[in-house]
Amino acid sequence: MRVIHRILGSRRDSGLADRLHHLAHHGAVDVLVVSSTDVARRRIRATTLAGEEIALALPRDEPLFDGAVLALDERHALVARVGTERWLRLVPGSQAAALELGYHAGNLHWRVRFADGAILVALDGPADDYLVRLGALVTDGQVTHTVLDEAEPC
Amino acid sequence: MTDVTPANAARIGIGGPVGSGKTALIERLIPVLQARGVDLAVITNDLVTKEDAERLRRSGLIDPSRVEAVEAGACPHTVIREDPTLNIAAGDALEDRFPGLQLLIFESGGDNLASTFSLDLVDWWIFVIDVAGGDDIPRKRGPGVLRCDLLVVNKVDLAPHVGVDLDGMLAEAGRVRGGKPVIATNARAGHGIDRVADAIGRAVLFAP
Repeated sequence: MRVIHRILGSRRDSGLADRLHHLAHHGAVDVLVVSSTDVARRRIRATTLAGEEIALALPRDEPLFDGAVLALDERHALVARVGTERWLRLVPGSQAAALELGYHAGNLHWRVRFADGAILVALDGPADDYLVRLGALVTDGQVTHTVLDEAEPC
Repeated sequence: MTDVTPANAARIGIGGPVGSGKTALIERLIPVLQARGVDLAVITNDLVTKEDAERLRRSGLIDPSRVEAVEAGACPHTVIREDPTLNIAAGDALEDRFPGLQLLIFESGGDNLASTFSLDLVDWWIFVIDVAGGDDIPRKRGPGVLRCDLLVVNKVDLAPHVGVDLDGMLAEAGRVRGGKPVIATNARAGHGIDRVADAIGRAVLFAP
């Protein structure tokens, strides 16, 4: 199993982009897909899209990122693709519901951000696991919900 | 495969409720990992004492200077999740003192089922529960139980004495975790420890 110890750069770096472009034309760019919830790990064991089992053992000051070039030579490259962060958009229908929703989000230590009267909760698992914690707020329609990914506007 | 040595030691976390057997698990893991040639150190977290660190230092299992203590001074999860700075600094200090360190184990202070580790602190983490806490623990779907990389169900020898359906508890744990791994242990007797060591080796030390 190949162990990768450092990031060579970004696929957008001018010095790397041309070489990657050339290799891509020959189908020689492999991709390691990493979920947004795993990207903070410095050690990862995974299988690339081409089926190679690899391991990452990155320095602690060198976090993985989307487009990180992990391997590159004349015949082959490996690039990381980080999955988009999924968000649960919760919209309270009243001030009372908003207060209660805020309490639950804090009490459950959810990662949140705020946008246009909504709370966006970063999803580390199925949305239903989060919705069930809100109980009647959701089942009674006091809070409405949709699931977004990072690419969608808030 | 490259033979380059990683720049840093792998970092793993072990969390779980008070009394579930976190320290006992570490006491059993130390000799197993050492026998496999793993160069390791341990950082314990306690609320306002260094009790767990002192226990490990006195154990004779590990060079006492390879055990550091962090006093959380507050809810234990605050120093492994919200602001793990104290633990990161303790880990960095151990890596400076022991070049070539391969594995750093962070033991959380005993906490509740909502306790989780920040991936800024650790690369992979274990959550330890025990059968004496009740076989309904997995069903309560605490974030610690759901999100950990490995769930350890400890003290399985006590199941018949506390009215716990162990097979049902393990099955439910596997179900709520969506198939992520669950290992049953009796840390005091050493049962299941090899499997935990295997999981650590495979996940962060890249053993076959």
